[in-house]
Amino acid sequence: MSVTLKSLRKAYGAAEVIKGVDLEITPGEFCVFVGPSGCGKSTLLRMIAGLEEITGGDLVIGGKRMNEVDAAHRGIAMVFQSYALYPHMTVRENMGFALKFAGDNPGTIAKKVDAAAATLGLTKLMDRKPKDLSGGQRQRVAIGRAIVRNPKVFLFDEPLSNLDAELRVHMRIEIARLHQELKTTIIYVTHDQVEAMTLADKIVVLRDGRVEQVGAPLTLYDDPDNIFVAGFIGSPKMNFLKARVQNGQLALVDLPGQTLPLTQSLPEGSEVTVGLRPDIFKRGGTAHLDLTIEIVEQLGAETYAYARAGADIDGQPLTIAVTEGRDLRPGQALKVTFDPARALLFGKDGQRLR
Amino acid sequence: MNRLISLLAQAGLWLAAFISVFPFLWMITGATNTANDITGGRFLPGTNLLPNIAKFFELVDAGQVFFNSFFVAITGTALTLIVSSLAGYGFEIFASKTRDRVFAGLLLLLSVPFAAMMIPLFVMFSSAGLINSYIAMIAPGIASIFMIFYFRQNTKSFPHELRDAAKLDGLKEWQIFWFIYIPVMRSTYAAAMIILFMTNWNAYLWPLIVLQTNDMKTITLTVASLATAYTPDYGLIMIANVLATLPTILVFFLLQRRFVEGMLGGVK
Repeated sequence: MSVTLKSLRKAYGAAEVIKGVDLEITPGEFCVFVGPSGCGKSTLLRMIAGLEEITGGDLVIGGKRMNEVDAAHRGIAMVFQSYALYPHMTVRENMGFALKFAGDNPGTIAKKVDAAAATLGLTKLMDRKPKDLSGGQRQRVAIGRAIVRNPKVFLFDEPLSNLDAELRVHMRIEIARLHQELKTTIIYVTHDQVEAMTLADKIVVLRDGRVEQVGAPLTLYDDPDNIFVAGFIGSPKMNFLKARVQNGQLALVDLPGQTLPLTQSLPEGSEVTVGLRPDIFKRGGTAHLDLTIEIVEQLGAETYAYARAGADIDGQPLTIAVTEGRDLRPGQALKVTFDPARALLFGKDGQRLR
Repeated sequence: MNRLISLLAQAGLWLAAFISVFPFLWMITGATNTANDITGGRFLPGTNLLPNIAKFFELVDAGQVFFNSFFVAITGTALTLIVSSLAGYGFEIFASKTRDRVFAGLLLLLSVPFAAMMIPLFVMFSSAGLINSYIAMIAPGIASIFMIFYFRQNTKSFPHELRDAAKLDGLKEWQIFWFIYIPVMRSTYAAAMIILFMTNWNAYLWPLIVLQTNDMKTITLTVASLATAYTPDYGLIMIANVLATLPTILVFFLLQRRFVEGMLGGVK
């Protein structure tokens, strides 16, 4: 089922928190809303769910305008951050509650609940109360409760943020598997860009109630529209260096005396920001930087070096991610080279210069 | 030094415990003694229990009196729980610009002593023709400001996401209240129930004013009227007290665990 937002707006009194969002989510798509806290991603999700009133614009689900339709009749199911399981009911009762309320007969309910429980490996826990379950199990029950309703659209509101790191990775894979199995449209809210990158067909980057960019994960990674998206997507974060166009080259303001070749035509004297992903630094390439390593993080397969220019301790720190860096030591001089075509340039307004 | 402090503390606690428990024990032993034994200073159990009981049932229409007490306490408690918890839920769940001002106004009313409201209340009930009725006994306490406050405070620990989840499950607001809120907040209700049951059961001043005939009197008023006789029979009074205290003790022990949970707050 498709979901379409047409200049959707939400205001609390005079304060506008969603400032006209246009979005098209195609049937079966896994769409992730991502952004820093306070960007309005959860509010947007709650508006789609019917838990927040819509101030302006249209919400269309499966071709039908849903602005005023009751939350229960939008054909959606939601998984909450705190799971929101009814503490006084068993797992079975929690999962069947919506169906019982919709007036389904007990036989049908039991069949649907058992099927969902089997999919999620909950069969042995059906008679427990939520307080007797672990975080991961509660999360699975919350997902099961959503599946049982056979929704046209699944909504997930930061579902993994209450889990520990290991379990988060595990559940992330389970959610991806579930999406492959059910092929239902999913809208998923997270502040964790790794979750967004790994799960999404389409990422919507939000800031301050506005959409900054919409696109496939790798599109956003390789071809961001502005500094915000470039900085938000990708871990470790993209390096940003201030530069000025001088004599047909980029003179780096933060690394005095060093220049980068200019790959696109810009007027002399323009001020730009150069974006360099930590993983573009390879041996070979026509551009180079001379740095001094300050801190080294060995991750086994990869090494992160945090480096500055020369001995100047106030210089801009750069993150360098290399695969063959076991010999790197703090204090060591490091000459990094890269393909200048992979450097992204942003104008003074933060927009990408293409 | 530490041992000494500990000993002193122990002694203090024992003294406090003795002061709290002694009247209670004296009431129980008194119920087994004659009036002369009690006024003579006898604290040990005696042999006059059965005659005291017999005399109580001879003088008092126990069935009617206990029915009145139970009816008023149970109905009053139930109605107060429903009305006050609904109000507390509403105050906490529904955001509005004026709710905190209205609430502050309500809390201010807590400082008005009952004595100041007694006469206006009496005039109101009298002009409504409700003097000497169950309604007159129950109605004034139903919208209890303290209970509204108590429920609002406890509702703060009620997870709002449960309400959202219930909405998505198709529940209307009253269904959320009935099927989700009440069961989740049962400890809060249990604590409130004990407090309200005891308050209603022990109510004295207002029933004294508003009730006029013996057939409407509660056990509390009956005990008081036994005590005001020309030559009070303390054995009789003590057995009446024991009988009057039993139901509240019973309610407390039945709900004790929930009472503690509820007073500590929190959703279990």
